[in-house]
Amino acid sequence: MDDYLPLVVMFVLAVGFVLLSIASSKLLAPSRPTSAKDAPYESGIVPTRDNPERFPVTFYLVAMIFIVFDIEIIFLYPWAVIYRELGAFGLVEMLVFSVAVFVAFVYLISNGALDWGPLRRSRRLDGTLDGNRTSSSTIRRIPSRTQVEGEAAPPAAREEGASREAVAAGAAVGSTSEASTSTEVPV
Amino acid sequence: MGDPVFNGGLDLGVLGIVAVKALIGFTFVMVGVIFMIWFERKIIADMQSRVGPDRAGKWGLLQTLADGIKLIFKEDLSPDRSDRLVYRLAPYLSVAPAFLTFTIVPIGGVFRGDDDGTLRVLGNDTFLQVADPPVGVLFLLAMSAVAVYGIMLAGWSSGSKYPLLGSVRASASMVSYEAALGLSVVAVVLLSGSLSTHEIVSSQAGSVLDWNIVRTGFVPFVVFLIAATAELNRPPFDLVEAEQEIVGGFHTEYSSIRFGMFFLAEFMNTITMSAIMVTLFLGGPDGPAPIGPPLLWSFFWFTIKLLAFLFLFVWLRAALPRFRYDQLMDLGWKQLIPLSLGWLLLLGAIQIGRDEGWNVVVVVLVGFGIAVVAAGGLLGAIRVADRRRDAFAEPLPNESAELTDAGVR
Amino acid sequence: MVDTIVFVLAALVILSGALGVILARNPVHSALMLIMTLFGVAVVFVAQEAHFLAAVQVIVYAGAIVVLFLFVIMLLGVDQADSIETEPIGGQRPAAGVVALASVGLLVLLAVRAVQVSSGARSTSSALDGEGTNLEKLARVLFTDYLFAFEATSALLVIAVVGAVVLARKPAAEDVQDRKGVGALGRTRSGSGR
Repeated sequence: MDDYLPLVVMFVLAVGFVLLSIASSKLLAPSRPTSAKDAPYESGIVPTRDNPERFPVTFYLVAMIFIVFDIEIIFLYPWAVIYRELGAFGLVEMLVFSVAVFVAFVYLISNGALDWGPLRRSRRLDGTLDGNRTSSSTIRRIPSRTQVEGEAAPPAAREEGASREAVAAGAAVGSTSEASTSTEVPV
Repeated sequence: MGDPVFNGGLDLGVLGIVAVKALIGFTFVMVGVIFMIWFERKIIADMQSRVGPDRAGKWGLLQTLADGIKLIFKEDLSPDRSDRLVYRLAPYLSVAPAFLTFTIVPIGGVFRGDDDGTLRVLGNDTFLQVADPPVGVLFLLAMSAVAVYGIMLAGWSSGSKYPLLGSVRASASMVSYEAALGLSVVAVVLLSGSLSTHEIVSSQAGSVLDWNIVRTGFVPFVVFLIAATAELNRPPFDLVEAEQEIVGGFHTEYSSIRFGMFFLAEFMNTITMSAIMVTLFLGGPDGPAPIGPPLLWSFFWFTIKLLAFLFLFVWLRAALPRFRYDQLMDLGWKQLIPLSLGWLLLLGAIQIGRDEGWNVVVVVLVGFGIAVVAAGGLLGAIRVADRRRDAFAEPLPNESAELTDAGVR
Repeated sequence: MVDTIVFVLAALVILSGALGVILARNPVHSALMLIMTLFGVAVVFVAQEAHFLAAVQVIVYAGAIVVLFLFVIMLLGVDQADSIETEPIGGQRPAAGVVALASVGLLVLLAVRAVQVSSGARSTSSALDGEGTNLEKLARVLFTDYLFAFEATSALLVIAVVGAVVLARKPAAEDVQDRKGVGALGRTRSGSGR
């Protein structure tokens, strides 16, 4: 147990250091809180909406599969220390274990549990852009009024859509008139 | 096993050595941080053709100190929607693991020839590392597990949107890369046969060919380097505090010295991770000693190797653009983890094959065969997942306003 | 002497953490208290020279399982107050009362027995035999005598993964036609940390 003594000493030093810094700041720094200073930071805009309270289930799945791998890793350490003693028997043992975990992993992936990417949506582009890449094809096209009218309201997803990227992506898409491209939905 | 200083039981001399070693470790990290922040700013400035800090002290060397003193004099705000208790606890949870991890790094000692890395001080043999706990490198994993809480709770307790987003990003990506980190460390343990960092360094003494980076076949080193960068939340994996997206990430609401603590912990972790990499893969303080006392050379080699990694981290920051979150998670889960697991089993199979007298070529071929099958299964699974997603997302109507209004994406 | 101090401190940490878990109003505070308890248990393991177990305790329990708990808390929403009037499972309250009473009874019985039986002598069950460190001895036993349990763990892990996927399974595609921007596995758009 003596081997842990230096860790305790180091821990005390670390905590003492943080404590001292914060305490000295408390003594030396001004403290004039106002309601504006204490408001949540929203880049200067007055907050209008509450924080998101609930998070996507994907995070839960990541934590779940992390547990699975963590346990596998924890079993690997004792094996790694004495695997030469165990010989081929130990190797087979560990292979069987790893295969089981790997199969579970593949099952998870095939179910999309570790997909974080934007949703892909296919969209036909025929007839909406001409295929020639010109100096203007990289520029966002503004529709005429008549074109927009009669269209349903664009999906909410696009409203937050980064129109920034549009300019850049326009060049790539503009050169393929008869192609389907993928787009992202900001999540 | 363990630091020989404790072999004769605890007495005043032993306690003194422990205290002095802890103080030296503490000072090393603190001075290292002050230097590292300056070093990073200067190198980045050079790479971007700027001057960088040059006012405080010679070449701006005291800039970090000046910044630290400035931070102490700044007003400490806590947002009124924050969870006070956890908000105050989080900096401690960030800083303490950063200090503690460094304790298991041997920063010096002669390991070649008859020497086993001990130093005789006041009649006691001791290792030149603050602690050598029996759990060894597992302590690294334990501490990085704790470090996740510092960031996660800092973001959650702020009661604000950007910190929350940053901390949820961070905790998911940090646990993901912790798995890759753990798997690549197993490869080192496999070859050294011990968890103790001292033993790991001892087993690498000799020439460069004895270092674990060569003996483990580079792959675990590369995986460790990538995973460590992600674990540190350094560019190109710094989505936790992606300025363009979520302001400062998890520490947006922190100000004054509390913010300074997170900043400090981040750079401390960079130093610690570099030191761990030196220990695990580059032979620690091992190196030739042409003239003079070998002990001094061991410090020299350790520092040189450490600096190389610190420079590498800065270089990565200057050279690479930030990953997207899905790319980050895909790299960790779908590439690094299967790769390091497969490589580890292959290393084990080769060693056991050597012991049992199997043909190495056959072992490697069978290993690669299994790897190909596994990779095929994995790729198939990824394709299945992609197809499901495509089926799930309804195609957009073919409308021209679509393309023109929000732009083609 | 040192052992006693360490044990008393660890026991204090464990018990106050355990009390905190059930008494804290905020689920995140409860999870923090749980971490404290787990650390106390790790210290007790270290005091028993079970170094590897102590590391596992921190890495797996504090590092992975409580992270999962925290994600689940965030998944459900921290401040969601449920009405305690409604019972999700019928007959839950009487059943809980019976179990609690039985547990208390067992504890009391155990305490009484312990006072009668314990003599203060050291345990007669010995440490693992064999050469080498604690970890090596543990590994030797784990991968030979307890091989079946070890391999069964992998089956357990597979079951856990399948269970997690089934629980989090996305609704069938036709059910969500009207919900825009629903990602894989029913991920909703709000606040996904990106």
